Amino acid sequence: MAKVKNPFVEALQNIAERQDIGSFKKIFDYFGPRLKSFLMKSGADEAVAEEIIQETMSIIWTKADYYDPSVASPSTWIYTIARNKKIDILRKTRKAVLEDIETAILPPVESKADENIEHDQKFEMVAQYLDDLPKDQLDLLKMNFFEEKSHGEIAEITKIPLGTVKSRIRLALEKIRGKLEQDGSMVNLNNDSGSMVN
Amino acid sequence: MTFEILSTPVNSPASLIFQQCLAEVDPENRSLNSAMNEVGGYFLDKTETSPLSRELWDKVLNQTNKGKSVSQTNDEHDPLLSQLPFTLRAHLKNKDIKWKSFKDVKVASIVPKDNNEKLELIHVMPGAKIPQHTHEGNESFLVLHGSYSDEYGNYKQGSVQVRSDDHNHTPVGDAQTGCIGLAYTHGKIKFSGKFGKLLNLIAN
Repeated sequence: MAKVKNPFVEALQNIAERQDIGSFKKIFDYFGPRLKSFLMKSGADEAVAEEIIQETMSIIWTKADYYDPSVASPSTWIYTIARNKKIDILRKTRKAVLEDIETAILPPVESKADENIEHDQKFEMVAQYLDDLPKDQLDLLKMNFFEEKSHGEIAEITKIPLGTVKSRIRLALEKIRGKLEQDGSMVNLNNDSGSMVN
Repeated sequence: MTFEILSTPVNSPASLIFQQCLAEVDPENRSLNSAMNEVGGYFLDKTETSPLSRELWDKVLNQTNKGKSVSQTNDEHDPLLSQLPFTLRAHLKNKDIKWKSFKDVKVASIVPKDNNEKLELIHVMPGAKIPQHTHEGNESFLVLHGSYSDEYGNYKQGSVQVRSDDHNHTPVGDAQTGCIGLAYTHGKIKFSGKFGKLLNLIAN
């Protein structure tokens, strides 16, 4: 596996360290249109979707120093912020009640900036594992954690028994968890573990 | 039960805070939650794009001129707060917690009641006994600090119990530590009218 440094890790660090607008624009250009598609699929109209993107970008700008590359990949951090913002904004009352919940997944810890390359590999391995999953299994994960459907709804849509839906999702998550829990040295030793996907 | 709660999509601030606190109280939960979040991030990366309106970048850029806010929690002033998960402390910062006291038990609302949903912090003093009660709606209770017991068992920090409205119990706070817990209650939806009976069957 090539040692790729995720460009968005660097972008977030540039924002945190020196309020770099160029890096901020890079994140906006890549994630903005993707967030808009995600938000509109989960029920936001165009104006509300852009309002949530604006709020999400504002949090990225002010809280970039909260981002810890050992805890989540940049897309996961940004996804979680936007999803939490959506939950707060996309309700009937349209009255935001959450304060700072968006950062709660990642309390600031001591800087691990030097180890970024290994962290990238860890998250790359998760992406690789998901890339290699059979489509029917990947779809279960997508429905649960991106389209935000309950196990019951997924069972109904796929006609797969509820217990099987749960156990397949759980099994895949345990594999992902295993990859996330490897530290940098383990990642290097297990470079070819992509073959363990099934 | 933990897996069930963590993998159930949430759609309200109350259920989100509850889920994140559950993820935080135990390293196992936390890593399971991280795995779930990574799946979301993976699909965000892969999803198609929708064009943004032209003025959005200017709006975003405008906001950056307002400067950086300094984030801090207020736990140094309140020893109770320092024992709570980061999620709750972050949510409660700059807010006064209004405790309602019922003898040896204190209750504070964490988010405004909304849609038959409530999220409350419950502080049971050491050895205090809560009179026998049932719950309005379904209650998920997460032990954040200390422990408590009832007729059915002993519940330690990090454990979660889900009870329906017909559940009857008499909890007692641990004699040494007492118990601080987070209670998420969502009432059953009751439909009335012409199709009420049928809808109640479906909804419940």
